[in-house]
Amino acid sequence: MGRLVSIPSTWELLVRDSRPALFVLPAGLIIGAITVYPILYVLWLSLHERLLIGNVSRFIGLENFARLWNDARFWNALGNTLYFTSVSVALEVVLGLAIAMLLHRAFKGKGFMRAIVLIPWAIPTVVAAKMWEWMYNGDFGVFNYLLGAHINWLGSAAWALNAAIFLDVWKTTPFVALLLMAGLHTIPKELYQAAKVDGASPWVTFLRVTLPLLRPLLLVVLIFRTIDAFRVFDTIYVLTGGGPGNTTETLSIYAYKVLFQTLQFGYGSTLAVTVFFLVGLITLVYVRALRAGTT
Amino acid sequence: MKRAGFYLLLALVALYCLGPFLWQLITSLKPAAELTHLPPLLPAPPTGTHYVAIFEGYPFLRIIANSAIVAAASTLLALAVGSLAAFALAQLRMRGTMVLLTFALGISMFPPIATVSPLYLLIRAAHMRDTLWALIMTYTTFALPLAIWVLTSFFRGIPREIYLAARVDGCTALQAFYKVILPLAAPGLAATGILVFIFAWNEFLYALTFTATTASRTIPVGIALFPGLHEVPWGEIAAASVVVTIPVVVLAFAFQRRIVEGLTAGAVKG
Amino acid sequence: MGNKHLHNGLLAFIVAGCMAVAGCTKEPPPDPNTITITFKHSKLFGDPAALQTLIKEFEREHQGIVFHTSKEPGIRVKDETLPSSSDEQHQFYVINLEAGSSDFDVFAIDVIWVAEFAKAGWLRDLSKLLPAQDREEFFRGPVEAVTLDDRVYAIPWFIDAGVLYYRKDLLAKYGGVPPPRTWGKLVRIAADIPKHDIWQGKQYEGLVCNVLEYLWSSGGAVLEDGKVVIDSPENREALKVMVDLVRTYRVTPDLVTTLTEEPSREIFGRGKAIFMRNWPYAWRLLEQDGSPVKGKVGMTVLPHFPKHPSAATLGGWQLAVNKNSKHPEAAEQFVAFMTSAKAQKHLGLTVGFQPTRKALYEDAKLLAAQPALAELYKIFQRARPRPVSPYYVLLSQAMQSEFSAALAGVKTPEEALSALQSQMEQILKRHK
Repeated sequence: MGRLVSIPSTWELLVRDSRPALFVLPAGLIIGAITVYPILYVLWLSLHERLLIGNVSRFIGLENFARLWNDARFWNALGNTLYFTSVSVALEVVLGLAIAMLLHRAFKGKGFMRAIVLIPWAIPTVVAAKMWEWMYNGDFGVFNYLLGAHINWLGSAAWALNAAIFLDVWKTTPFVALLLMAGLHTIPKELYQAAKVDGASPWVTFLRVTLPLLRPLLLVVLIFRTIDAFRVFDTIYVLTGGGPGNTTETLSIYAYKVLFQTLQFGYGSTLAVTVFFLVGLITLVYVRALRAGTT
Repeated sequence: MKRAGFYLLLALVALYCLGPFLWQLITSLKPAAELTHLPPLLPAPPTGTHYVAIFEGYPFLRIIANSAIVAAASTLLALAVGSLAAFALAQLRMRGTMVLLTFALGISMFPPIATVSPLYLLIRAAHMRDTLWALIMTYTTFALPLAIWVLTSFFRGIPREIYLAARVDGCTALQAFYKVILPLAAPGLAATGILVFIFAWNEFLYALTFTATTASRTIPVGIALFPGLHEVPWGEIAAASVVVTIPVVVLAFAFQRRIVEGLTAGAVKG
Repeated sequence: MGNKHLHNGLLAFIVAGCMAVAGCTKEPPPDPNTITITFKHSKLFGDPAALQTLIKEFEREHQGIVFHTSKEPGIRVKDETLPSSSDEQHQFYVINLEAGSSDFDVFAIDVIWVAEFAKAGWLRDLSKLLPAQDREEFFRGPVEAVTLDDRVYAIPWFIDAGVLYYRKDLLAKYGGVPPPRTWGKLVRIAADIPKHDIWQGKQYEGLVCNVLEYLWSSGGAVLEDGKVVIDSPENREALKVMVDLVRTYRVTPDLVTTLTEEPSREIFGRGKAIFMRNWPYAWRLLEQDGSPVKGKVGMTVLPHFPKHPSAATLGGWQLAVNKNSKHPEAAEQFVAFMTSAKAQKHLGLTVGFQPTRKALYEDAKLLAAQPALAELYKIFQRARPRPVSPYYVLLSQAMQSEFSAALAGVKTPEEALSALQSQMEQILKRHK
């Protein structure tokens, strides 16, 4: 397709006339209707001492955040969360990119392979976690059987959090791979041919062509994986429940226990709000990087 | 030689992805007494009793249907609404795009565990408790940020000249959107659709809270209902998870096929 | 799903949005016909018909009765199951009750939730269903657990307590010794044979049940007159024994830190262990056809430390009435019916419930169906409730963390208990 020579400014006007806001409106309405209230509610609660037991409810300003600062269990959970997020997201992106590039090549049975790659992602997390718990079983689990080892995967402080990471990596690498596969399709083949003509090695082609062009999508993937991993709940809840000795307790697990087991809705909301701000902070860094890339 | 290495890699990837699923399949075919024994690795002989058990005296089909309806409806809604928004953000050069995108993202940053309580109040107020609508609306909303982000990134890859040309040819903005731009973004739509579908298919926390009976229960909650007070029927859980995985695989398979060949986005760009 | 549904759905959605803004919630008008009450409970193992039979019978008995809240006579009961995971149920109830839901009338709750839910104001006072003179008919533990400030907030439905399972055949081979009465003896036998001693050591509520049995049977306690006494020499010694079971004597495998009830039962059921601490439910599964240990299993009271009595942690489920129930009278009648001797006996015969009414333990028919009841009677009578406090869940959270840390070797028993002492003191101080 040839390039359109010049675009008269009247067309630009026409574009403005079509009121892009109208296109965004449905999404805005849905998101607004369903999320604004819950989020404001949680923010509001985080400034309260709200105990369901005994029906205590009073405004205490930022006192909950001060309590958080001195709460050793919070710092422990934050450490676990950061470790889980950084290790699992890094592994997922590397592995996902590798799989995407592998499957991007033309070969027989490509569609079939794509479907296979999606399987881990397609299994409900709760079910997948149950499956892995079964495979991690220290007594008759298939992992120990195949390795000929006696590893206490889920019951030892050294292994438990890593065991949860393995599951998360297995489960969500397809998400990364799928998006990157779709992204690879949008890279013009001519660029690769040009690189070949110039005699660039595959590694150089990857660094100079593939990576820069995938960058925006990679950042989107990173953002969503980080947000998800930082809030990890189901996986750990099923595998270890936070144990042994809180060594796998992440912020969401801790928030869950404070909210729904001990019914401290105020302090629990404070934990949730803290997760929100921390994730927001990380995302901001990513978005900056994304912006720098697009302009 | 190189080819063999490539297929070896493929086999490794397949094993990695399939391994746990295959183990689940094997587990589902083992007689109850063999479940907690290793070796033998394989059941001898395999049994179908666990499969019979999940369909007998248990409305498992209804639960699968619920999940399918919820996931399909959420996907369609999220794609329709999300692609409109993404189109505006990417192609119409809307002002404040970054602000809107960041806001959409912001809502997915709360741990779901914190928003489930207030959301439940909304659902109850709307008399949507124990209906499929409660889940469809919730899933659409929480899938929208991802959908908008991914689609925006795909729409950005489509040269604006194409949109402008369509306008020159007399299309309205909306027509240009669905007649020209949307087909070009097919791979992005398919990828996003699959992600949303699977998210809705798998979600547990909201489903547990908003549903009460088989009228609206979805698969993850249905499976959570298998265990008795103390007993855990591993065989049945394994069988159920195999059964619920298959439709998604079939779907992914069908979906994938359509998007691969003749990808316009790549061709157009050159 | 037709277009009309779609339309209605959208409409409801829009209305919801408006109402959320206005902050008003309106319930649909009550059904003018027969009352329907909703009964929430976890799936019962075994034949689902057992409960249905009872419900039908209840409906039949109340055919002609007219209640204040309806014009037509009769009650219908809709039963709805919940996932049996205790955490998921707790969460479900909390969200619903906190929202003031009246979607269910009668519900089954764990023994440790009664004080908590009552203090939150979610339970209807059922004192008149269980007047002081009738309390004698029930085991003491559950009655203590459902009573807060002299009012009764739930009626005990079935009872549970920790017991020791042992292998009769192995003990016979070992020289015909009786099951061990002390923890020391248990360790010696298990180490000699050698076979495992299995219990529940995962970080969850079950761990607290297990550890408390060691602490209590050493003369230790958690609270005394409202004061925290967990960091005592007795408790330190008892917790150290538990850790030593894994680390020093090695009679308990280190994977105990992943075990809940069922995985424990599986290990014991495959003949890998000589002793197991579990709830009475395991008996039926160990003795069923095809079980490798069928006929070789005994059940008795848990061991203790020298000079102190044995202790079993009390468990079990109670029936409560939602404070917001639209039909409290009918709901109360249903609770009374389901906890009656007749209904408990029926469930004992069909799904193996252990009744909360003491008299049923002399019922010939029930004893024939569940021979273990005779032994269990003694255990239930002495079963100890976990600290009955509205803030029990807070205390339990702290206990789960610290006990688990000690077992996993993250902390020494001394460190864990001293940390626990200060955490628990803080909790009680905050909630004075």
